[in-house]
Amino acid sequence: MKEIVKITIGLTLTCLIAAGIMGGVFIITAKAKKHNEYLNFKENMLALLGYNQTNPAPDSLQLCTVYRYLIYQGDKTSLGYMLPVKTKKTKDIRYQFIRVNIQGQFIDKFDLDIETAQTNDIKDRNKAIAAVLPKEVSQIVFADRFIAATNNDKRLAYLLPGKSPGFKTHINFMLALDSTYSIVGLQILEHQEDPGLGAEIEQEYFKNQFTAKTSERLKTLKVIKEPLPDDQLKFLERKKWAKDAYSEKDIETLQKKYQDKDICAITGATISSVAVVNGVKNVVTKFVYRVKVLEKIISKQNISVAF
Amino acid sequence: MTKSTLIRWFICICILLGCTACKTEHRFVKRTEFKKTNIIVICFAGQVDESWANNFKSFRINELQDPDIQLKVDRVELSKDKRTLKIFMKDPLNKSNPHQVALPDIMSEGKSQGTAMVSVKKLYWGNLISILIGAMFIYNYVFVKYLGLCVYLGVTQKKSTAIGMGFTFTIVIIFSTSISWFLYQYILKPYQIEFLQIIVFIGLVSLTVQAVDTILRKVNPILFKEFGVYLVLIISSCLILAVPLIMAAQNYDFFESLMLSSGAGLGFFIALFLMSCVRERIDLAPIPESYRGMPIAFIVSGLFALSFMGFSGMSIF
Amino acid sequence: MIENNKSYSNIFLNGILNENPIFRLALSMCPAVGISTNVMNGLLMGIAVLFVQFCSSLTISLVKNFIHPRIRIPTYTLTIATWVTVTDLVLAAFFPVAYKSLGIFVRLIVVFCFITMRLDVFARKNPVFPSLVDAVGMGFGFMLGMMAIGGVRELMGMGTLLGYDILGFRPLLFFVLPCSGFFVVGFMMAIFNYTEIIYNRRKRARSVA
Repeated sequence: MKEIVKITIGLTLTCLIAAGIMGGVFIITAKAKKHNEYLNFKENMLALLGYNQTNPAPDSLQLCTVYRYLIYQGDKTSLGYMLPVKTKKTKDIRYQFIRVNIQGQFIDKFDLDIETAQTNDIKDRNKAIAAVLPKEVSQIVFADRFIAATNNDKRLAYLLPGKSPGFKTHINFMLALDSTYSIVGLQILEHQEDPGLGAEIEQEYFKNQFTAKTSERLKTLKVIKEPLPDDQLKFLERKKWAKDAYSEKDIETLQKKYQDKDICAITGATISSVAVVNGVKNVVTKFVYRVKVLEKIISKQNISVAF
Repeated sequence: MTKSTLIRWFICICILLGCTACKTEHRFVKRTEFKKTNIIVICFAGQVDESWANNFKSFRINELQDPDIQLKVDRVELSKDKRTLKIFMKDPLNKSNPHQVALPDIMSEGKSQGTAMVSVKKLYWGNLISILIGAMFIYNYVFVKYLGLCVYLGVTQKKSTAIGMGFTFTIVIIFSTSISWFLYQYILKPYQIEFLQIIVFIGLVSLTVQAVDTILRKVNPILFKEFGVYLVLIISSCLILAVPLIMAAQNYDFFESLMLSSGAGLGFFIALFLMSCVRERIDLAPIPESYRGMPIAFIVSGLFALSFMGFSGMSIF
Repeated sequence: MIENNKSYSNIFLNGILNENPIFRLALSMCPAVGISTNVMNGLLMGIAVLFVQFCSSLTISLVKNFIHPRIRIPTYTLTIATWVTVTDLVLAAFFPVAYKSLGIFVRLIVVFCFITMRLDVFARKNPVFPSLVDAVGMGFGFMLGMMAIGGVRELMGMGTLLGYDILGFRPLLFFVLPCSGFFVVGFMMAIFNYTEIIYNRRKRARSVA
């Protein structure tokens, strides 16, 4: 009997100590994890816009995030956008929440009580939104977000994170669109594809095929199973191999020549190539439709957005 | 468990799954499903008027998560018995997302049956079977994911040991994954202590092995004599911990995790059986001295892994 | 008590040569086959295992007098699980790129047979410092084994080593595919066996002569 009590006490004590150590480490690392994730994301965004360590971003560059929500009230669904707005008195950015019905008409708007640093955390956002919405709202669900980059109050680009089911699991990517909604760049953030096959979607010769494609061209974009012509391959990988071989005029002519060409699939990785193309198509068509609706509402309601 | 009890359980589960697939949100709409790449099929409980069906411009179809983006309908086709409506969409559908179809004011024989908002999604039991077959072949835990190799190499010297180990393993993994699912959903997730997963799952596995050991000893000593020795080996295999971890990471519900664990167990069983057949024959073959034992076993496993690569990318349903 | 014949360097080399976890004991093969596609992965996995083994050996040899003999296996499992969770959380927070390439194998360090075995065979009976040396030796053996396999696969598959282009072209993409791990490990084990056979033959020839 004494043995069993001793054993039980020993085991329980060990479990508690173990749980205590793990809990402590979890609390310390959770904050660092979030911070590192945010830094990594920001680095990817700046890389898409063309800024890196040798070409740092100017101080006037501002990245504002707009969050889209789905609001369920009984059997009615409406959309909600959390917009960063400029305040007239100070240079701070405050947040407003506007509700739009599914036909694209403005319903109402609310001022949110949330700091910019807190907007990264989904719980803080949901709390701030739930505090201002009427009580009949049954559920608010975060849908997606896009980031608007402005330089000196001029809209530089829209950055859209997206996810697509790939060959193995998911492919996370980020697109950059300019103010005419044509693609500036594509960055693959995360994937679990096979190295040498599906992982080639990270290579320049695949990603750069999307540059300068307009949103209209994207609606009919397909994947063709042909190899890339030599001059296009060299042009796509010019940043890696031949930095000085192309003049501005050469770049322009070659860009125009291949602008409307379909995407050439990666050898041995058709499914991954198709997954990326479909993901890009999906994200861009939905975004262009929504941003046009949002622009109309912003101008009609005279909301002074920070982008 | 006797064979008849197992069969009875299986039939019950099938009926339950079948029932969940047949319900829709409106009493007049019997069934909805996707067909090919751009067709939605809706089966009604009675006949619908052709004039109402041809007025398809009033239909509203959208993906469930994007209620503001309406998908365009190309044309509709009403079946001869007027109970089935096929809606052809302009663009190919993204079938992995559930869609919502709003049919306003359904007219059947001159009377309005109300407005129906039904959802169309992939068959639930189709999803379950694809998880099962996936875990068995496409993502076979030994040949594609490289887990459980120590046990796999140690036990495949003879067919009888391989079969015994495979059988015991399947039972233990189904029990331990089911209990892990309950603990994960109702204790670890709500209290946000997911970082304790590893300890909890491994503790559960040890407890399950102990429990199966004790139960088998009392209930069926003959079976225990045959399979009892493998129970201790199970704890040292990576696979027994990997399956609950994957279930937690993918956030499966109960039936999906059941399918995952059965698929993993059966896949392991198949791998063990195939390997033991080959190894029994290799023992009689003239192999160079330095390759005897482990090296040739690895090379043969490599050949199996190559052949299982042929399954990759397959998707059923 | 330490056996009188074994010096510290003997204990250390034991883990790398005589009882190398991958090639000799043939335990914990899963990561050796699964993620040793390049040297960097092998290095990272080896460091993770080294850290877990070091800390577990330290903990167990410090508290060896308080462990009740009947619950020693659950205690070892608990200790290893704690340190594995700590490693997992730290890697996920501070080295996200490394964490993603290692995937699920970091959490599976818990079920590595050889760590539990070392704790039971060595750390329980010896004072702190020799246990640490043994743990470091075993961990190094594992890491060197993983790096060797990773080196072969990366060089033959992608023509690079640690990311630096060595060959300038890709010899055989097959070596980077997951299933080639089996072949590479099999061939390397055969080479180990072969050298041992030659060594024994020469020893026997010398003793006869």
